[in-house]
Amino acid sequence: MNQDLYTAGMNTAAGTLLLTAVLVVWRRELRAMVMLLACQGVALAALPIVDGIAHASAEVIGVGVAILALRGVVLPAVLLRLVARRGPARRGPARWVPARRESAPVVGTSLSLLITALLTVTAFAVTRPIVRLQATVGSMAVPVSFAVILIGIQVMATRRRALSQTVGFLMLDNGITSAAFLLTSGVPLVVELGASLDVLFVTLVLGLLARQVQAHFGDSDVGRLRELRD
Amino acid sequence: MTVLAMVAPAAQVAGVLLGAPLVAGVMRQVRARLEGRVGAGVAQPWRDLRKHLRKQAMTPSGTTVVFSLAPAVVAGSALLIAAIVPLVTTFSPLDRMADLFAVVGLLLIGTVALALGGLDTGTAFGGMGASRGITIAALAEPTILLSVFALSLPAGSSNLGVIVAATAHDPWTVLSVPGALAFVALLTVIVAETGRLPVDNPSTHLELTMIHEAMELEYAGPRLALMEWASAMRLTVLLALLANLFAPWGIAGAGSGAGGFLLATVLIAAKVAVLALILGGIEVFVAKLRLFRVPELLAGSFVLALLAVTTSSFFASAVG
Amino acid sequence: MGTATSAGYGSCVTDMTALLVLPVAAPVAAAVFAAVCRNRRLNAAVAAAAALAIGACGLLLAVARGDGPALALGGLLRADALTAVMLVVIGSVGAPAAWAGIGYVDQEVAAGHTTPRRVRLYGVLVPTFLAAMATAVSAANIGVMWAAIEATTIVTAFLVGHRGGRAAVEAAWKYVVICSVGIAVALLGTVLVYFAAVHAGIPASRALDIDTLLAHATALDPAVLRVAAGLMVIGFGAKAGLVPFHTWLADAHSQAPAPVSALMSGVLLAVGFSAVLRVKPVVDLAVGGGYLRTALLVVGLATVAVAALMLLVQRDFKRMLAYSSMENLGVIAVAAAVGTPLAIAALLWQVLAHGMGKTVLFLSAGQIQSAHGSSAIAAVRGVLARSRLVGASFAVGIAVVVAVPPFAIFGSVIAVGRSMTEVGLGWLLAVQGTLMVVAFAALASRTVGILLGEPEPSAPAIMTPRSISLALVIGIAACLALGLSAGPLAGLFRDAGLMLAGVR
Repeated sequence: MNQDLYTAGMNTAAGTLLLTAVLVVWRRELRAMVMLLACQGVALAALPIVDGIAHASAEVIGVGVAILALRGVVLPAVLLRLVARRGPARRGPARWVPARRESAPVVGTSLSLLITALLTVTAFAVTRPIVRLQATVGSMAVPVSFAVILIGIQVMATRRRALSQTVGFLMLDNGITSAAFLLTSGVPLVVELGASLDVLFVTLVLGLLARQVQAHFGDSDVGRLRELRD
Repeated sequence: MTVLAMVAPAAQVAGVLLGAPLVAGVMRQVRARLEGRVGAGVAQPWRDLRKHLRKQAMTPSGTTVVFSLAPAVVAGSALLIAAIVPLVTTFSPLDRMADLFAVVGLLLIGTVALALGGLDTGTAFGGMGASRGITIAALAEPTILLSVFALSLPAGSSNLGVIVAATAHDPWTVLSVPGALAFVALLTVIVAETGRLPVDNPSTHLELTMIHEAMELEYAGPRLALMEWASAMRLTVLLALLANLFAPWGIAGAGSGAGGFLLATVLIAAKVAVLALILGGIEVFVAKLRLFRVPELLAGSFVLALLAVTTSSFFASAVG
Repeated sequence: MGTATSAGYGSCVTDMTALLVLPVAAPVAAAVFAAVCRNRRLNAAVAAAAALAIGACGLLLAVARGDGPALALGGLLRADALTAVMLVVIGSVGAPAAWAGIGYVDQEVAAGHTTPRRVRLYGVLVPTFLAAMATAVSAANIGVMWAAIEATTIVTAFLVGHRGGRAAVEAAWKYVVICSVGIAVALLGTVLVYFAAVHAGIPASRALDIDTLLAHATALDPAVLRVAAGLMVIGFGAKAGLVPFHTWLADAHSQAPAPVSALMSGVLLAVGFSAVLRVKPVVDLAVGGGYLRTALLVVGLATVAVAALMLLVQRDFKRMLAYSSMENLGVIAVAAAVGTPLAIAALLWQVLAHGMGKTVLFLSAGQIQSAHGSSAIAAVRGVLARSRLVGASFAVGIAVVVAVPPFAIFGSVIAVGRSMTEVGLGWLLAVQGTLMVVAFAALASRTVGILLGEPEPSAPAIMTPRSISLALVIGIAACLALGLSAGPLAGLFRDAGLMLAGVR
């Protein structure tokens, strides 16, 4: 593959990663957030796929396809079920209608976006030593991964719906996976496998717990979890 | 400096002057067709303009020269931008003027003139529209500045001609982190700046939602025609600029002959037409935002632009 | 890799494989058994047996240990002195906790608090939890260790929420969210270590192996490793209940079933911290000892301070125990920061003693709670008069965790204090000592209130199932024994201290 095309492909994928992260902060419809997460998953998968095509490595392309399946399709689908499903229809007393939008935000959208900007600048500052150590096309985009990680944490901290917090967690994880890939073309297979399985299970667990929260508290607003305090 | 290069600015002005109403017409027609209507045809804005131009000029009592001059200033600033920005060629004699800051300043002159014209009538709608328009402009103009600035960093110049030429020379450079962020920011802000959906609805006169229409509510006849024409020109110029910043394929350079110029003209017209088609298509699917959500949208695009600058300067310094 | 250590592997590989595989395989087998077998008492007994097997393997590893680490399964599993200590800890807390599960589930079933499905889930998850922890401490690869620690979060999520109801669901949600974020931060640190290793020319397939990293530590880029170490301290610290991701701890410990609380407090926190100990020698070699020392001192002292303050205002005895765990882990982190062989040996001793003390404490607290239907300190009076065993267990447990002599933590705290003055951190010792006295006072005064005094006539009787009584008696005996002498484990602690302090 042409070097320019390779650079452009990697950069576009990295740009899309950051762009979708910022858009998640921006949007409040839960469905839109999940869709953006799916887009981010696709952008994440594009990194190894482009890299694999450029270096003619079937193994790397395979990793990319696996990431595409997990992050672009399976995990968003799990989350979408939470938005779409009309409560535990068969058993359980509570018949809840899933919320469609984020409830009253802890931090207003404009301020959140400002925080996002600050976090991104921080990410670029923190990753200086890494970029200095290895200035390749891939590691040049590492600051973007760190920014996505920080934005994911921000979403978890400032959103109150169980689903949005899960989206934040998955963004955090997408950031880490992209960092792993950009820095080193992916960690060893056994680690990658373990990490992916863990993420899948955590998402399932969070989904199940979100349902229980909804069933017990009548709402998926985890800001209502205030029973336990000192 | 060839004769052709001297002609280029004139061609740009003429093209924008003639083409702008057609761009507005294309967007309306797309919308009509997607909504299942026949539509009035692409040339309808031209017919409207002709109708308005034939009418008598009315000056509401109590208005000053500001009211009368505003349409001319809006239209003049738009034409001046059309003359200096690199639409057909990056190598025009006026190119030196096409500094990023100058262009944004010219845009702002137009916005301010429009708001003053609205204010001068002293009606409630004019004042309301002006206040809203300036609120949006206050957020939109810095965003345009920042996002183009992000693109200017790799080129190392704030001259639009140089930026576009650099991109034309190496078309892959825009496909980057800052490029992607700047594109979204710029697109959003152009929509806001030209009063399209979801920020403002150009085809409504509902009092609670108007922004642009409220400011020109008291205008009639030739002045209204000029206002409408000017706003179409602003849209056209900004779309063309967007097209050339991100996809400057085929733009005429220093060594292009007459054929090159002709090709560039056709290409830029085609690019603007495509953008207009896309925007018109999108407008069918979005609803107008509530007014107090508009600053959120613009704050978002501002943040994107800011991030574009940050990332761009990071990459520039890391490479250099 | 040094030739001396390579020779060490060669002599050990053949005979150690069984001892390395069994700690992981036994609880997995117990989990499978529990999934198949419907007799829940038998299942709990099998899980306790598996825990015993883990502990026995730890002891045997301690005895049969060669000079270098032992490897098994193609280099996936690895055992050294730290592994042996941690396996002993898992076994000695896991066996009584799993055994006490019989009584806990009986009580829940009798009270109609649970469903058969939940009971089965409990039976499967407890040994799975043990398996994940055993994997974490015997992994040869930092990445595998990370995945195993993350797996403990997933497994325990349902154990924390096992009792159902609003509070338990809330605790489970907070636990999963906070720990997942923390552990994700640790993954980022792991990725950066991998990056530094690959960049230093280590082949990718071995770049996360602990031995390889140790051998090449000086070649790793210090700037990158500094970022990585910071992330790992924060991330694995989340599982160890250290500041800043400590907020899950009190909620989860107070809502989980008593045996699970004992496992989490006694072992899980220690396993999380053992991950920090694992990477510490590598980081110390790469960036110098001062960096991690500062980080651990800050985190450890902050944890002790937060725990002491929260203990002062505590009104719930299960949460009180949770904050006491935080305090202990904070002290352990400070000991790790000091980093001398003596300090590290002492901290491992403290880990074991704290685990056993907390087992006894949580099991007895569980009985008090189930009798009163509440865990409010104000609601409980005169426990000792109503049940000698539960009262005595609670008293012994508290005495262990607040470092009263003759129990083991007293000795370990003294040893750490001596090391602190040796390395010139005497002023910090004063700060830490003050905080520990505050915690001591808070814990002691509340314990006296709970245990002594005349019970109200209407106070419910405290019934103790036989299985829990047995676990309590064994736990008290073990606490006393460990306080009097570390016995055959003394040499193990010393070796682990020498190894982790980078002396050997």
